[in-house]
Amino acid sequence: MPHKVFLSFLWPSLIVMILFIALPIVSVVYQSLHVEHEQIMIVGETCGPFGCTEEVSVDAEAMGKLREEKPAGRFNGLGTYFNESHLATDEIAEIFATSADFREFRNRVMNLPFYNALIFTVSYTLIVTPLVMLVGFIIAIVVNMVPRLFKGPVIFFSLLPMIVTPLIGSLVLFWMIDSRGVIGASLQVLFADPTLSLKASPTLTWVTLFTYGVWHSAPFAFVVFYAGLQTVPQDTMESAMVDGANRWERIRFVTIPHLMPLAIFVALMQLMDNFRVFEPIIGFAASASASSLSYLIFNDLRISNTPLFGSAAATSMLTIFGIIILLLPVLRQNWREFNRKS
Amino acid sequence: MARLQLKNVNKRWGSFVGVDNFDLDIADQEFLVLLGPSGCGKTTTMRMIAGLEEVSEGEIWLGDRMVNNLEPKDRDISMVFQSYGLYPNLTVYENIRFPLRVRLVPKEQHDEMVMRAARMVELEDFLDRRPAELSGGQRQRVALGRAIVRKPTVFLMDEPLSNLDAKLRVSTRAQIKNLQSKLKTTTVYVTHDQIEAMTLADRVVVMNKGRIQQVGTPTEIYDTPANVFVASFIGSPAMNLVQGRLEKGVFQGQGIRVIGLRADKSGNVTLGFRAEDAEIVKTDGNISAPIYSIELLGEASMVTWRLGGALVSVRANKGFRAEIEDVVQADIPADACHLFDTETGERL
Amino acid sequence: MSNPAEKRPLPLKALAISIVLIWIIIAAFPFLWTMWGSFKVEGDFFSRSDWMNAVTGPLTQEKHGSTFTMEGYEGAWIEREFYRAVINTAIVTVSVVAVSLTLGTLGGYALARSGYKYSFWLLMMALVFRAMPGVTLISGYMLPFFELNIWGYLPTAIIVLVAMNQPFTLWMLHSFFKSIPRDLDEAALVDGCSRFQAFRLAIIPVMWPGVITTGLFSFLTAYNDFAVTSMLLSEQNLTMIPQINSFLGSSQEEGKVMYAVAAVVSSIVPLFVFIMIFQRRLVSGLTAGAVKG
Repeated sequence: MPHKVFLSFLWPSLIVMILFIALPIVSVVYQSLHVEHEQIMIVGETCGPFGCTEEVSVDAEAMGKLREEKPAGRFNGLGTYFNESHLATDEIAEIFATSADFREFRNRVMNLPFYNALIFTVSYTLIVTPLVMLVGFIIAIVVNMVPRLFKGPVIFFSLLPMIVTPLIGSLVLFWMIDSRGVIGASLQVLFADPTLSLKASPTLTWVTLFTYGVWHSAPFAFVVFYAGLQTVPQDTMESAMVDGANRWERIRFVTIPHLMPLAIFVALMQLMDNFRVFEPIIGFAASASASSLSYLIFNDLRISNTPLFGSAAATSMLTIFGIIILLLPVLRQNWREFNRKS
Repeated sequence: MARLQLKNVNKRWGSFVGVDNFDLDIADQEFLVLLGPSGCGKTTTMRMIAGLEEVSEGEIWLGDRMVNNLEPKDRDISMVFQSYGLYPNLTVYENIRFPLRVRLVPKEQHDEMVMRAARMVELEDFLDRRPAELSGGQRQRVALGRAIVRKPTVFLMDEPLSNLDAKLRVSTRAQIKNLQSKLKTTTVYVTHDQIEAMTLADRVVVMNKGRIQQVGTPTEIYDTPANVFVASFIGSPAMNLVQGRLEKGVFQGQGIRVIGLRADKSGNVTLGFRAEDAEIVKTDGNISAPIYSIELLGEASMVTWRLGGALVSVRANKGFRAEIEDVVQADIPADACHLFDTETGERL
Repeated sequence: MSNPAEKRPLPLKALAISIVLIWIIIAAFPFLWTMWGSFKVEGDFFSRSDWMNAVTGPLTQEKHGSTFTMEGYEGAWIEREFYRAVINTAIVTVSVVAVSLTLGTLGGYALARSGYKYSFWLLMMALVFRAMPGVTLISGYMLPFFELNIWGYLPTAIIVLVAMNQPFTLWMLHSFFKSIPRDLDEAALVDGCSRFQAFRLAIIPVMWPGVITTGLFSFLTAYNDFAVTSMLLSEQNLTMIPQINSFLGSSQEEGKVMYAVAAVVSSIVPLFVFIMIFQRRLVSGLTAGAVKG
């Protein structure tokens, strides 16, 4: 297909993607280098019955004018990246110098918003991803064993936690784990502790969020693995039987190698999805004890009237950087394959 | 009706050369077959003629028009695709009528033209069916019908028989040959099957690795292959090829010696002969070695030796019997031998 | 037809069936529970005395004379005008699906038939955008949108959702169009069509399975979106999901959690129907990426 014809088909998509993907990225970069204007103060005299007093207040008019001229704020270079709510280099240095032991160091670092979010995001990604794959694989294996009749309904119900958006899904669970909800109340009985609340301790909140993550994503792994199980080469399976492999060995040497490419696919998708964990934190009202990179950005932007565009943009850039690191091996491998093919 | 010329046509993708300097003049009404193994550039050449692939270098002339920059629809060709490319949502009748519809042929002529084409490919009884309801052979005939419904300057056929079973292939082959001679339209036909090439072609172009290896009538290609590639590609079983030395008209290889060959050349050569040109003898054979296998074909037996690295087969009459490892001799007439330069592979 | 490879001892079968049952309960119970509970009053759904109250509903009985009440739904839909959010969601999802499929089929077709290696870059882009949290881009949108005065309107959110999903849409459609034999549209080209005619006459009639599968995923993106819609839409234009989120803040204080529960159930029910109708296509779409990836 000549380039001209090609473009005549592709231009609508291209324009949309340039306008709403490429330009916003430029805008994020630009904004991350700027910070809100300093307040312009004005000294006015308020005169009352007891004489005049000098008063310092924000000059709304001048501020408005300044904002109109320079909506992105004033240039701040990389300042935002290194301030206390992002990479916090000064604070880290200080904490490092004054902390008595690693424990204290860790605790104090965890109090820095960016590191708190980063650590949660990374732990969420690294813990939920393998669990999802394991649970999904087990479900796929057992569903494959049950009579055909059940399979349709099983898949139907399995899809629910995945299809329902995380915010709604986590809300549904949130209400159930409320100490007055069915799961929360049952847990209190189970552990014989009437004050037990999953919402109270940060550790339990983290565990709750991880559990939610597995519940939400396991269906995806299940569906992919289940589809893979349908295509396990029957010849290899039968020759393994003839060769005397038992049930477990057949899974180990035939099924699992066959599912390997799918497992890599699931792992990749899960790494990406889990890295942007965000909605469950809102759904579980967990922001006090857990926060993620996405949540930080959301929070900066949500501040009414004066959203912290600069701060949000800097966190965005750092997040994108993190994703690139995460995806680098995949991108590199694809690039190699691409070069080999062409 | 037109002559088709390809002038030094090249096709490259990046550094990969798909078709290398293809230069050929195809006469009006000629049936030309492009023959070669997969990946040899034959289909690419055809697609460039059709306009489905851009030409990197060189010119394609259809009649007196240079068509390099014309869209496929403006080239006035019709084409039969390997997997037919039938429109699954249209009936047989609609499929055959499609070219007339998009080329804005006056509506009142459609019915007559479609019926004529359908009659020629014997599809009158299936006009209301959809492609999914047809057998492979019938689908193939719909594709043919769609190609002949108008009178294009050139027919292009891309392995049209490769999806049919062996029996149907033979009858459809005959039908294509018959149609072409009736319609007298220049035809370019791509195949990897040398029997199709032999039976259909006025001229065959043998291609390999993007290059033309030999152009000639089927007889020329069979009798005087231009190089080792053509020799090994044409004929079934393939021509026996043995490496050795030629000195004063005597070829000497491992387990084989042929005398009375041309004396004006000497050096490392490859000797070729066809299995049916040699015969099993009791004494004084050119080959004398223990046999590697013997296969009974029914009408004959095939005796095979392993000489050097090569397997060499000779056709014996059907009564011949021997055990594997028995020493058997064969006589190869000198005038049935082909000599090729071992270095270049070219015919000497 | 008993295949020895599929013969299993009884205990193993029993184990398998019980694991499956446990999984079904884990997967489905929360939704069924919430649906059931949404017809109760708060005192029952969040019962201090006994969680069985959420099933039997004694307080609901006491208050409304029946164990079922539409109170939560009435409050959400009428008092809090949740129907507006539903209408907005309908507008957004239908538009996003329509626009992204229209642009995507054209682009995906071109990518599938182009001899050049654009598809690699497309895959890389789809991958990166799949990985990038939507919020990171949103921080790039807000300020320019305020400046241009297009913040808060439905069309803005629609086009943003289309754009963010477009690499994925293109990729899916591209691999689908690749599975349609080239012969089909090339036959049309030789028969006398231009590229657009070939697309219209030969490809459009056969492309629906792939387009529908891709459309399902566009639908889900738009329907389930929270990040884009909550940040880019003004209060009265909010769609269901962000609307529910804004319910949470207000209703919790006023003791009207049941409004939020009713709204949540209202947003889940369409998905139930959706999965029921499209289960097969969803599954094949989910796995298509893995196979062709």
